[in-house]
Amino acid sequence: MKTLRITGLAIALVALATTPLIAARGVTLKGSDTMVILAQRWAEEYMNSHSGEVVQVTGGGSGTGIASLINGTTDICMSSRPMKPDEKKKLRDRYQTMGVELPVARDGLTIYVHESNPVKELTLEQLRLVYTGATTNWKQLGGADSRIVLYSRENSSGTYVYFKDHVLKGQDYAASAQTLPGTAAVVNAVARDPNGIGYGGAAYAKGIREVAVKKDAQVPGVLPTEATIRDGSYPITRSLFFYTRTKPSGDVKALVDWVLSEEGQKVVTKVGYFPIR
Amino acid sequence: MAWSRPACGCALMLVMACAVSPARAQDETPADTLQAAPGSTDERSAQIESIVEQLQAIQSEVDKQKRFKFSGYLQARYENAEDSDDSLRISGTPPAVTVANRNRFYIRRARLKLTYDSSPLSQGVIYFDGGTDRTVRLLEAYVTLLDPWTVEHRHSLTVGQFNVPFGYEIERSSSVRELPERSRAENVLFPGERDRGLKVVSQWTDQLETVVSVLNGGGISHPLYANTDPTGMKDLTGRVRWSQGVFDVAASYYWGDEATPLVGPDVETDKTRLGFDAQIFYEAPSIGGGTLRGEFYSGENLNADSLRALAPPPAGQGTALLRPGNLATDFVGGYVMWVQNFGDRAQVAVRWDTFDPNVDKDHDEYWRLGTGLNFFPDGNVRITVSYDFQNTETAGGSLYQDPKDNLWTIQFQHKF
Repeated sequence: MKTLRITGLAIALVALATTPLIAARGVTLKGSDTMVILAQRWAEEYMNSHSGEVVQVTGGGSGTGIASLINGTTDICMSSRPMKPDEKKKLRDRYQTMGVELPVARDGLTIYVHESNPVKELTLEQLRLVYTGATTNWKQLGGADSRIVLYSRENSSGTYVYFKDHVLKGQDYAASAQTLPGTAAVVNAVARDPNGIGYGGAAYAKGIREVAVKKDAQVPGVLPTEATIRDGSYPITRSLFFYTRTKPSGDVKALVDWVLSEEGQKVVTKVGYFPIR
Repeated sequence: MAWSRPACGCALMLVMACAVSPARAQDETPADTLQAAPGSTDERSAQIESIVEQLQAIQSEVDKQKRFKFSGYLQARYENAEDSDDSLRISGTPPAVTVANRNRFYIRRARLKLTYDSSPLSQGVIYFDGGTDRTVRLLEAYVTLLDPWTVEHRHSLTVGQFNVPFGYEIERSSSVRELPERSRAENVLFPGERDRGLKVVSQWTDQLETVVSVLNGGGISHPLYANTDPTGMKDLTGRVRWSQGVFDVAASYYWGDEATPLVGPDVETDKTRLGFDAQIFYEAPSIGGGTLRGEFYSGENLNADSLRALAPPPAGQGTALLRPGNLATDFVGGYVMWVQNFGDRAQVAVRWDTFDPNVDKDHDEYWRLGTGLNFFPDGNVRITVSYDFQNTETAGGSLYQDPKDNLWTIQFQHKF
């Protein structure tokens, strides 16, 4: 009898502990700061056209969003980089799924400098040398004789990881790189610092000058535009993703379908990113 | 870590303030210093430089803190065994009191892991456990060096105390396991799961991974050699895994020996394990993800039951107990398991596992059907209710009996 009582009590406790979770809470999106302005516009327009639907958007960085997806605290993770193998493994350990990756927009990872900076273009190799601390003066890049001030992102940022993997080739950032908590902060810092350089999503490039990027010294520099992103000639082009734990269904599917529709993709262009089609 | 964002925010505000604020009284803080600046561009630039340097010093400290990562988990458990009895038993030689009651609350695991990513190319880990016997012990401690020649650092060297890289179950954290305990075969063949040595992990492609290791061989739970290695020869392991995403398969091999102290020269017996494991992942529409997985072990092992397993020697030939070949026996073991998620918050797991320590002997096989329900109230908590149907043939008079040792387990886990 004692066993039965204790087992019954445990089951009741479990039921009690899990009941509040069943309550509806709308669709939640969390993750990439690069995508926050886009997701907010999506949410506004979606809720305007779908009365009664609730969409909540939170930033924090791609890494934070992926962690939330694994912890079950968001329905959709926004990420400006693909999931890493160890993140996929954690998702698989918990949900027995590989996750569903949905490219929802394209972005050209943009290099920002102050409007007064005479440096108009940089090669990928020059960017690597700048951000790993090997090149420290603008004069080495054809600019003024002044120290290069590096603005970067936190390591939970997908943009940070993407830039590190694709531009720094896996090397660590220079210790002097200042970590800022969002692309908007990077843009603000560069806009006010004549010696600054930063990187981030194309949609944020306001009040600064974009630098044309060259794959190598032999080719002309390319600016991130819809044409160069679409044809792949801009060297640091990336996809922006939604991730879900399982194949979307219900409210999540309705939102994802709308984001991928013509209407949803128009919002991408309005915000300053590039549609996937 | 938590103050990195405010620190950075302050930094930004200071830089912004520099560009717009008029001169004010001078003080010791960077902001006030800035406000006291005369209006010339050069002076402001110099002060920005000064602030930047101060911020870099702060950022450097913040970055150091961010390289530390604390994680861990706690498993508080209630167990209720079928053969529990509210009494004390006196048995054995010399006689000892044994608690027969097996209904109890206890802490199964209380683990803290500290990871320090000193650079993109190295990592240090220290991992403690304070569960079960409430004695804190070092579970893992290792240094990992990553290769500098691939962007993703696909090759690594780890030296220290770590999980034996064999099969699937061993290296899978207890915090993510769907049933409270690992399979019997794994428990017997790799007690404690960890050993000291080095391993080289190579991720040749996104699908293909190899691991080779050189180990002391005794493992951290060896009754005699937990901290030493009595043999100069080291044990070797190798594993090849192909991960297709929804289908993973691996083959593992362990090659070692074990020293057994006998009267006279020590005897070294073979210790080999051949393992195969496979996992299939699928998604049931509107239900959730699921897995079918299995693992198979075979080989030779020093068998604690060997003495009992031996046939009586022919009359006049003395005892066979000292023949080294008889100390190791051929074993087989493994499990098949099914896990099904129901939405994001519930999960069912069923596993059948078996272990036969000596294939040449009857009535020593063990099998168990484990069933479990997992509930996930939030991202940190897992509540498990499981029931194990255990079958252990035990000699009882002239018959073999299955003792009444089925087991209820209720476990609350918090992972952070």
